[in-house]
Amino acid sequence: MDKTTLSALGEILGDRLRTDFETRTAYSFDALRKKFLPDAVGFPGDAAEVQRIVQLANRLRFPVVPRGAGTGFSGGSLPVHGGLVLSTERMDRILAIDTENLYAVVEPGVLTGALKEEVRKIGLFYPPDPASLKFSTIGGNIAECAGGMCAVKYGVTRDYVLALEAVLGTGELVRTGVVTMKGVAGYDLTRMLVGSEGTLGIITKATLKLIPLPESVTTLLALFPSNRHSADAVNAIVAARVTPAAMELMDRTAIDTVRETIPVDLPEGTRSALLIEVDGQELAVAREADRIAEACRSRGALEVRRASDAKGRDGLWTLRRSISPALRRVGAVKMNEDIVVPRSRLADMFDFLADLAARKRVTNVNFGHAGDGNVHVNFMVSGTDPDETRRAEEAVEEVFRAAVEMGGTITGEHGVGIIKAPFLEMEVGPMGISVMKRLKNCFDPNGILNPGKIFPEEAATAH
Amino acid sequence: MKDDELKEMAGLCAKCGTCRAVCTLYPHRRTENSAARGKVVILESALSGEDKDTAAVQEAMADCLLCGRCERECPNLVLYEELVMKARAALADEVGVPAWKSILFGKVMPRDGRMRALRKAGAAAARLLLKKVPSGSGLHYRFPAEFLTGGRTIPQLPAKGFIESLGKGEAASGDVLLFVGCVFDHFYPEVGRAAYETVKASGREVAVFREAACCGLPALVSGDRESALENIGANLRRLREAAPETIVFPCGSCLLMFKRNIPSLFKEGHPLHEDAAFVAERATDYASFILDSGVVDRLPEPPPAERPGEIGYHDSCHLTGTLGKGPEARRVLERAVGDAFAEMKGADLCCGYGGTFNIRDYPTSSKIGENKVKVAASGGTKVIAAGCSGCVLQMRDMAARVEPSMRVVHIAELVRRALARAK
Repeated sequence: MDKTTLSALGEILGDRLRTDFETRTAYSFDALRKKFLPDAVGFPGDAAEVQRIVQLANRLRFPVVPRGAGTGFSGGSLPVHGGLVLSTERMDRILAIDTENLYAVVEPGVLTGALKEEVRKIGLFYPPDPASLKFSTIGGNIAECAGGMCAVKYGVTRDYVLALEAVLGTGELVRTGVVTMKGVAGYDLTRMLVGSEGTLGIITKATLKLIPLPESVTTLLALFPSNRHSADAVNAIVAARVTPAAMELMDRTAIDTVRETIPVDLPEGTRSALLIEVDGQELAVAREADRIAEACRSRGALEVRRASDAKGRDGLWTLRRSISPALRRVGAVKMNEDIVVPRSRLADMFDFLADLAARKRVTNVNFGHAGDGNVHVNFMVSGTDPDETRRAEEAVEEVFRAAVEMGGTITGEHGVGIIKAPFLEMEVGPMGISVMKRLKNCFDPNGILNPGKIFPEEAATAH
Repeated sequence: MKDDELKEMAGLCAKCGTCRAVCTLYPHRRTENSAARGKVVILESALSGEDKDTAAVQEAMADCLLCGRCERECPNLVLYEELVMKARAALADEVGVPAWKSILFGKVMPRDGRMRALRKAGAAAARLLLKKVPSGSGLHYRFPAEFLTGGRTIPQLPAKGFIESLGKGEAASGDVLLFVGCVFDHFYPEVGRAAYETVKASGREVAVFREAACCGLPALVSGDRESALENIGANLRRLREAAPETIVFPCGSCLLMFKRNIPSLFKEGHPLHEDAAFVAERATDYASFILDSGVVDRLPEPPPAERPGEIGYHDSCHLTGTLGKGPEARRVLERAVGDAFAEMKGADLCCGYGGTFNIRDYPTSSKIGENKVKVAASGGTKVIAAGCSGCVLQMRDMAARVEPSMRVVHIAELVRRALARAK
């Protein structure tokens, strides 16, 4: 970025434009752990400033990379072609909570957890719950269409976005959607922007649907002798016509990893576990929990534990929560994928993974949101053995292929970013890519917004 | 700069962002630079040689309160507080201690004699510049010494420190050793006195550690490894010689130093490793000693409080957060003051002192501290009890600024008053 560009940006942002090396460094990464140095970092305070920045970028041709809290796993906020990282951190107000029509209006930098907490106080519920909810932003969640554990019952971020205000790649401000449940006036531009990974527009305001807060929650931990048993139980629970609020599966590799770090009291022969939550009205919850426990036992559960009080539930969550910290003992570098398969194919996917890990001689740990078929497939590598890294990369590609062949997707909630761009065509085909590129061209003809994402390209190497 | 230990520690960070949401400083800076993972990336850039501006990296590392919230929440268990501290030391080895810090630590803190001289000069200066500020808890004066600027309120330095006030042969020997700490010796001798008398109420022989050098924490967090090591070495040697059964610390930060930071400096194989382990094993926080030694059982049944719930307890970052010693102090308070104690609003909010951070950026330190005191007051607290010297210093200053009727005391002062009731 040349001096003219920087001084023009400085005129818009004042001291909210940073060009010092340390700040650029601090905005050169996200949770993917790859590093691309931006030329500058800007902290706009409102939509008008965002608009002026993007207009300037069209005139002087520099990339603008929107960034929420930089917690993504696909590299969505990385400035792979340099330019300006546009942080939404300063746009962090909850503008309104409408308790009659049940929606909230927020700026993009609001932390998802902060919104959840704020509406919870008045008996309302914003369900999306990505693992990062305490530190990721609504803007980032919308741009990546973040999922989470409750997707099995409540859906994902896109199911709660009613309306958006965004600055398009052209620098124009657009308002999409309506605050009402119904609305079919023209194309659904709101959904177009959700999950667009900052390549079509920069979200400057969002109207989000709220629902009543469930009055009670019960947690169950069911322990099984194998993943086959767990996967069967998942199907049995669905067949019993119960929809849990969460259904998390931990496989043998995940359980063993946790056991190596902390003492966990589990029955002999535990090789797989399901953590299930049901929520709603107290009586209904109790009945549903009974049916879930019954379904688990009928599919060979070694033991089913259950708790409805905060402390007991917390105890049952220990196993699930301890996986990530424990993983670092297995390998320094985690290749963290988020494939999805139809629920009925879960058992097949786990069999495939066990065989794959053995074939490729790589450490593989799996856990995830079994209720919606979303499996977090992790390959743990040292990072110092190039051959091991290569084998793991080959394994990842095979996993993607298998997921697509089983009728699933290469990414359930992390997004394509840079890391899955080479595999996008595998899933959407050449025609899919072609239509997407035409849409991109319509929203951002000069390729200003977040270049180098979603679509495969040659250049852009991390350092 | 190059440092394999730092590189390894930094490498454990997954850059997930958990630290952003819990950082005490982040709401004030609102940039990634202030959160732990941002600092890790900046440090990694310096370690790889990409960022050669060591002074700028040093500034980035200095901008931290070392409250430790990030490391307590970190899913990867990265020891950020220690990482930042070690980075500061490594950077200081390269470019020296930042000028604003060497004023304080190069010249003042390391040797006790210097502190004593300063205190005397300060008392004289304070007498000249008597400027009373509103405070319900005694007189506070603006202190004009060169390193204290920005209109802060600090106590009038007493003519005599606690240790100086001890009679010849008083508290000279015993298997319990009291490590008073600089602040409670020089600034608030009444706390040193209260700690001594209440510890003595255990019936055990109590010696005050008269030859104590500064615990070394202020120098260490400033990256002044040399001064820190000088103090630490002297303290370890003398403590090993004295060979007490128990060492009681009224200050949580001094305790953290001996419990965690010093052992981490002298790993297995280091000549001081055994001495460090010896001291760490015997070091205990004030409240735990009062509980375990039975002092608490000697306290008379507390009378019904005139104003129930007016006394709160402040969770110091080091004492409760890192060392986990919050419940003990509460049990002591429940017995010492009865229903005058109640859980305080915002008990676990950092006071904003952050050791040298308070000197580096007093305006931000004040914002954090004023908020702390205001939140406590909004919940009905009238007296804040704490167990760490920095927190007491800071909260008294902050109370004088925004809540003049708020009193800030060390928990030992309340125990001492309860003991007096027994007589």
